Amino acid sequence: MAHQAHAYHMVDPSPWPLTGAVSALLMTSGLAIWMHFHSTTLMSLGLVLLLLTMYQWWRDIIREGTFQGHHTPPVQKGLRYGMILFITSEVFFFLGFFWAFYHSSLAPTPELGGCWPPTGITTLNPFEVPLLNTAVLLASGVTVTWAHHSIMEGQRKQALQSLALTILLGFYFTALQAMEYYEAPFTIADGVYGSTFFVATGFHGLHVIIGSTFLTVCLLRQMLHHFTSEHHFGFEAAAWYWHFVDVVWLFLYISIYWWGS
Amino acid sequence: MNRLLNVPVAAVRAFSSSSRNLKNKVPEAQKLFQEDNGLPVHIKGGTSDVLLYRATMLLTAAGTCYSLYWLLVASMPNKKE
Repeated sequence: MAHQAHAYHMVDPSPWPLTGAVSALLMTSGLAIWMHFHSTTLMSLGLVLLLLTMYQWWRDIIREGTFQGHHTPPVQKGLRYGMILFITSEVFFFLGFFWAFYHSSLAPTPELGGCWPPTGITTLNPFEVPLLNTAVLLASGVTVTWAHHSIMEGQRKQALQSLALTILLGFYFTALQAMEYYEAPFTIADGVYGSTFFVATGFHGLHVIIGSTFLTVCLLRQMLHHFTSEHHFGFEAAAWYWHFVDVVWLFLYISIYWWGS
Repeated sequence: MNRLLNVPVAAVRAFSSSSRNLKNKVPEAQKLFQEDNGLPVHIKGGTSDVLLYRATMLLTAAGTCYSLYWLLVASMPNKKE
């Protein structure tokens, strides 16, 4: 281990970038084959390969950081920059969908009746389930901060409980939103209202599921004693991502659910 | 950790069921992954690592060939089946 005279991490050669690239090829070409030839085998193969890649790649990062000690302060700084840049790219991703929503809703075309919400659309009451969803995510922001402070103070039991509660709140949001989707009086095919609503909230829901998964991995790692009170960047990254998901929801709620109703 | 091994009853009593007190196996893992055996990290864990790696590469190779097969099929629109 002590063969380097610098604090940086020269990673071992890894096969996962290749398997990840191939899985992207299989998923995209598989999507085209599904559409034209009604076969889902190629795409499914790509998905399985993606899951295998993610599992092994992130398992290796945990080994490099927690078991091999490669995540020195300069390396951790790089990881922090990386996570911040990734979240920033996701902000731009959502910005596009908000742009689409405001483009259509600020100047509604005659085909929609010249009004927003468009003629014939029964919107959801923003003060019913959507408001509950807002409370659930805001509460989860509190519990994840509680978890962070517990980890920093070495309070193992509290860290596990608050992190578990955060994840449960995430599942509760997902369940409520799934129910809303099922009961909604409009569909994705209902003009530009349906498109903007379901694409924006749908991608948000996907990010809630990703965030919940990330937090669950952190819960498992906390159970396995991976985090110390000084060094727990994996958890911090998950918490940053979770706060980002919460903020996106607040913008969705105010723009689409409230102003747009 | 030694104290916990000596007083298992107290450990079970002091924690709620939501925080199963797992033994800290990080030092063992650190020893395993810091062994100077020249193995890259993705197979340094043992046999199960190698098996999973081989399965993944098999799917990668097979999947690449399969996508090339479909590329050929899709490139010949007049082919009747």
